[in-house]
Amino acid sequence: MRARLNPILLFFAVAAALPLFFGATGLFYDAFQSIFVFALVGLGLNIITGFTGMLNLGMAAFMALGAYGFAILTCDIYPFQIGFWWGLLLSGAIGALAGFLLGAPTLGLSGDYLAIVTMGFGEITLDVLKNLEAITQGTQGINPLPRPTIGGWSIELQDERSWYYLLLVILGVAVLLVRHLERSRTGRAWLSIREDALASQCMGIPPKRTRMIAFATGSAVAAVGGALFAALLSSTGEPNSYDFQVSILALCIIIVGGMGSIAGTLIGAVVMVGMNSLVLVKIADWLGSRDHGASSNVLASPNNWKYLIFGLALILVVRLKPEGLVPPRLEGDAGAVPPQPPKSRSDAPRGGASA
Amino acid sequence: MSLLEVRDITMRFGGLTAVDGVSFDLRQGEILAVIGPNGAGKTTLFNAITGVYEPTQGSVKFRGSEVRRQPDAKLAIRSAAVAVLGAISTFVALNAQPIWLAAIDANYVLGKPFPWQKAFADAWTTARAVPLVWGIIPAIVGAITGAATVLALWHRLRRTPDLIARAGLARTFQNIRLFSDLSLIENVLVGMDSRLHCGYWTNLLRLPAFSREHSRSTAEAMELLEFAGLADRAHAAASSLPYGHRRRLEIARALASKPAVLLLDEPAAGMNPSEVTSLMQLIQRVRDRGVTVILIEHHMKLVMGISDRIVVLQYGRKIGEGTPLEIRSDRRCIEAYLGAEDEL
Amino acid sequence: MELDFFFQQLITGLSNGMIIALIAIGYTMVYGIIELINFAHGDLFMLGAFLALTVVGAFGLDAWAGGGTWMGVLLLLACSAVFCAGLNWTIERVAYRPLRASGKLSLLVSAIGASFILVNLGLFWGGLPMEVFAGGVAAAAPKDFPPLVPNTNLLGADSLVQLTPKDLLVFGVTLPLMLGLTWIVTRTRLGKAMRATAQNPIAARLMGIDTDRVIGATFLIGGALGGFASVIYALYNNTISFQMGYRAGMDAFTAAVLGGIGSMPGAVAGALVIGLVRAMSDGYLETRWTNTIVFGILVLILIFRPSGLLGSRAKEKV
Repeated sequence: MRARLNPILLFFAVAAALPLFFGATGLFYDAFQSIFVFALVGLGLNIITGFTGMLNLGMAAFMALGAYGFAILTCDIYPFQIGFWWGLLLSGAIGALAGFLLGAPTLGLSGDYLAIVTMGFGEITLDVLKNLEAITQGTQGINPLPRPTIGGWSIELQDERSWYYLLLVILGVAVLLVRHLERSRTGRAWLSIREDALASQCMGIPPKRTRMIAFATGSAVAAVGGALFAALLSSTGEPNSYDFQVSILALCIIIVGGMGSIAGTLIGAVVMVGMNSLVLVKIADWLGSRDHGASSNVLASPNNWKYLIFGLALILVVRLKPEGLVPPRLEGDAGAVPPQPPKSRSDAPRGGASA
Repeated sequence: MSLLEVRDITMRFGGLTAVDGVSFDLRQGEILAVIGPNGAGKTTLFNAITGVYEPTQGSVKFRGSEVRRQPDAKLAIRSAAVAVLGAISTFVALNAQPIWLAAIDANYVLGKPFPWQKAFADAWTTARAVPLVWGIIPAIVGAITGAATVLALWHRLRRTPDLIARAGLARTFQNIRLFSDLSLIENVLVGMDSRLHCGYWTNLLRLPAFSREHSRSTAEAMELLEFAGLADRAHAAASSLPYGHRRRLEIARALASKPAVLLLDEPAAGMNPSEVTSLMQLIQRVRDRGVTVILIEHHMKLVMGISDRIVVLQYGRKIGEGTPLEIRSDRRCIEAYLGAEDEL
Repeated sequence: MELDFFFQQLITGLSNGMIIALIAIGYTMVYGIIELINFAHGDLFMLGAFLALTVVGAFGLDAWAGGGTWMGVLLLLACSAVFCAGLNWTIERVAYRPLRASGKLSLLVSAIGASFILVNLGLFWGGLPMEVFAGGVAAAAPKDFPPLVPNTNLLGADSLVQLTPKDLLVFGVTLPLMLGLTWIVTRTRLGKAMRATAQNPIAARLMGIDTDRVIGATFLIGGALGGFASVIYALYNNTISFQMGYRAGMDAFTAAVLGGIGSMPGAVAGALVIGLVRAMSDGYLETRWTNTIVFGILVLILIFRPSGLLGSRAKEKV
């Protein structure tokens, strides 16, 4: 157990210490708050795709449902106004419910088809959020949203540092809970489905129920991420903030970081979101400061390279280091054999010589 | 009463009849071997017994009854619940906006307490005012679709491998199916799943019951690994095992559920003579633990060495059944094997 | 009145459906042969349209008149077809083939990656400093595609139903293409090799079929069809954008699944259905729900009949 915990503990230790030792600027806080929020979404996807092997290309939908759920339940343009913490909790419940509703009819589908269905669900959710304007304020988004309060103390939006630590703590709790599941009967059942669905079923593990629980758990975590995303901005933003790009960002996070590995998800979030929020911004600033003014050259703006970078990241990682930056490792493994890169199998038992 | 009664099992795939009317009994405590040339239908028969396939015809009875989900109150409740859910979701999906506008938007004033009762009343009024084609009819369609799907799925999945495994039949596979990226002990623990009790919430929150079960199950898993001679590598990845050991892990994993019957599909495939000998001893020790064993095997030395009885298949049909001595001298069986590399 | 409106939607739906069909065939052929959803296919289609616009700009095609326009259209068709065919083949060679042994998830992820790269290429392309690209200033904005094919109503100026040369163009190009494709698949050795590889790649190899080349050929043909589709789309809709691949790809993939993935007639049938559904939804319901309806159909088909309308539910011997 010791060797495994380290990368995760390291992450949290470093993250906790970072603002204290480095001159933390607004950019730094923005970036890391984004990193923590998307780490949550990635964590949810990791449960569904990394642990259980079900490719989900619509994670943004659950993030959106969490954000909008939180907003509707807490914003004062609606009568509910249940406050930050209850809002957070219920947004997770909404995510879980959505996971169940989507999963129930679809989890029998094979990998490719399930991926497409999740993508479709992502689109449908987006459209519904845009179109049901009376409920969701359409493309305006819902704002303002309440502050988190602890005891009597309320964390204002400008209090970047407190938000930073709040998000870090919530992320930490989520990681701990997911870790509990991973290292238990529940998690093993999930992993067994990913490894070999048929063998898993022949061991007595009910495939549909186990997948549903993975799906619902993952969606709940992503929904909480969404709720925090909205709370951070004090607005849900427009529905397009939760489009296919976001789903792919989540996918990049877990693939680049290491599928099936919680530490990998955390590192993946740092790399992918950090690149977006820190590196690209820095490059843009630097280019801007080199006196080119507002260049109309499309190649000059780093933002225009995002898709390319995502795409290359995916292809290169899958080709050169398929297990990701921080591959999952085994328990108590001072001397264990390094794990094989994750392979996917078709669900049908293989033939070989017929008997 | 026999432990397993296989009656007239027939498996047809389109135009191909892989298994044709095979029947035999499995008696408690014996080691039964199923042999036959390639293509004789042995693995298909196993798949039919363990629920991977649904037999085109015939039945498999375990301890006197077929292992099959029966319609019960739970099914009825589930169908009803899904029907209601289907009706409500369809109705809400089509009419959410007007209801929201009437109930919430119209009644909410910032700063004033929200009149919940009136809101519900308004919602109800609006819902009732919805024209049939947007309201009741889609709701009924939703309900029927939901219930029908539940029932159709249930019907298709009445006899599944997990049900049969939980009833007490465990198996290994011709092309060894381990959970490669899990450790040896994790593999065995997965096999033990049907005997574990901790549920989702206990595991999530690490309630006290978790650690109790965790130590108990880990100890038992280690014991199984020792039984299979693999305890020294308990925490290594299953993919790191050399071929000869993988089969043993598969067997240890299958035994973790404390099955009444263990089905082994070509356990000796790819093994050298000394490995085969230790496998034979392992299987006998398995039987000595009280597990009844059926095995598919080509390796004649193993078959003749440990089986109590043998069933011979050819082209999907049973052409012989008896003790090793009887089968050795049966002409049809010998003819079926002309060309086999091992001596009878 | 009512009937006219209906016929109008019918024509629009069928025309759009045929365009989608060409793209859908590309998806279904590739899935049939290597069981991969080629996410990049829709974006390939998008790049074909951008190439077409570039050719228009480079050769000044918008200035050609009369009979010259049709020469121009043929030129565009040829250029985009060749370009897309080559690009598709290259992507297969570079991004997919090396990963074939790594499992389906890796392939799928690679396809998604390729798709994103192509999208970004489209974005960059939109910044090309040519007049047709509006000087390359707003790279992300949709571009107008010159109306090389006129919009005149062939049924007479006062007819409420519009049938234009554009519609004729659509059918005039897609129908021969489909016939040609059917001929290739059923009558040539390549077609037979393709069908064999799709059914059982190992057996095909054992029979001496070079499956790698067959797969390459499949991507070539699929790409070419996408290229043809891109030109027709651009001529029909008179606008292109670097994000059009996503929508078109989704429609086309839905069509392929609807008709039964792996089946070419299925892809066409599915595409016509999708085209009609879109037109009817736009016309009779509200445009803003059209996407939801299309995706809803996709989800429902996958749940209740994954093998599609024309696909078969073959029981596999395992």
